[in-house]
Amino acid sequence: MRPLGSGVRFDVLKSALRVRRGNCVGVRDEQKQATRERVLVAARDLFNETGYEETTIRAIAERAGVSVGSVFTTFASKAEVLSHVMERRLGDLYAEFDRVLPFLRGSTGDRLCSIFAIHYEFETRRVRLFLAHIAASYSPSNDPGVKPYGRNERLSDMLEQVLQEGVARGDVRGDLDLALTVEVLKACYASNYRMAAARGASAEEMSAAMDKQVALIAAGWAPR
Amino acid sequence: MSFVSVNIESGSETPVKLTRRALAKQRTRERVLSAARRLFSERGYEGATIRDIAQAAGMSTGAVFASFSDKSELFDEILTADYEVIYAQMKQAAREGETVADALLGLFGVAYSFHLEQLPLLQASIAVSWTRSDAAEKRARTDIKHLFALITDALERGVQAGELKADVDAKLVAEIAWDVYVANYRRAVYDGWTVENLVAHLREQLKLILAGVRA
Repeated sequence: MRPLGSGVRFDVLKSALRVRRGNCVGVRDEQKQATRERVLVAARDLFNETGYEETTIRAIAERAGVSVGSVFTTFASKAEVLSHVMERRLGDLYAEFDRVLPFLRGSTGDRLCSIFAIHYEFETRRVRLFLAHIAASYSPSNDPGVKPYGRNERLSDMLEQVLQEGVARGDVRGDLDLALTVEVLKACYASNYRMAAARGASAEEMSAAMDKQVALIAAGWAPR
Repeated sequence: MSFVSVNIESGSETPVKLTRRALAKQRTRERVLSAARRLFSERGYEGATIRDIAQAAGMSTGAVFASFSDKSELFDEILTADYEVIYAQMKQAAREGETVADALLGLFGVAYSFHLEQLPLLQASIAVSWTRSDAAEKRARTDIKHLFALITDALERGVQAGELKADVDAKLVAEIAWDVYVANYRRAVYDGWTVENLVAHLREQLKLILAGVRA
């Protein structure tokens, strides 16, 4: 028998190892992905039903039918779970927006109001989830996977694009600070969820409040 | 947000000569409050339990509950005490501003200066404000009116001075100004903004908000 260190045998061994390892990773990735899916669905439902603070990682694992350990190998913390739940939900929403945006009509204010109304409609389906997301955005987590409310560029980009088009159409003045306007609009948009938090206001009530806020801000961006 | 409440009850106690027992009780309250303030700042609202607070204050949880009915009452009391410290200053600053923007920047600037000194406590109070109980929410809603009155007063003065349109919806403008004021704290939390950064940014935001209501 030749020693292990010599030529051919060692290469064979290495490639065999590589193949096996490759397979293992594939299966493990798949399992990890499945665990991830189940954890995100379970967390989404529990955060909304019983509240974010009240929901433990253990409860999420139990509902998802996975071990507590496997939740922690997939996510660094509960904050990260919430962040991923929200990001995935928004992924669906923004895919919808990509189809809807080209069909928006009316003034820039009207278009923005439509965008916010769709958001309120969407978020009030699981409003406690969204409230937890906003609350968490004031308490930063150091986990790299956490993207707090307000740092999602897609909403900002969409609003800025609508304003930009308004400038092009001539119903928004050209020297308006678009990023600052988006920021003010987003502050109002988020704050209106207090109506839902405090007294279970409907999406329509929040949209009505937003319409008034947009109208007031829009009065300031009209070309002179 | 709920750092706004004028606690009239505690004021009415002072003229009465305190018995030894009442004095001891007050000392206990103060010890609890100071321990609670520290723990809420360090661990956030949810992270600090009554048991932790009792331990830090060197007493039993029962003794804490003898003074406060629950954690949210304890938390509110801390925020109220802070509010009482800054309300007069905010009012003063609003009065000193010549224009509407200056008045608003003055009052919000006082708040920024105060809260940036103890940012973790403010973060906890904002986080709680999104998920608190109905009773706590009602309490905060009533309290917040005092601050809103300062903002709408400044706007009304702007109308009288001919700076703003006569038919301005002061409540709406106040709401929007308040929303951006609160949202800006995230800049302090995430980007390390100073009071000067926040006030300068708010100045631009107010310019944008007031643009549509100027006379």
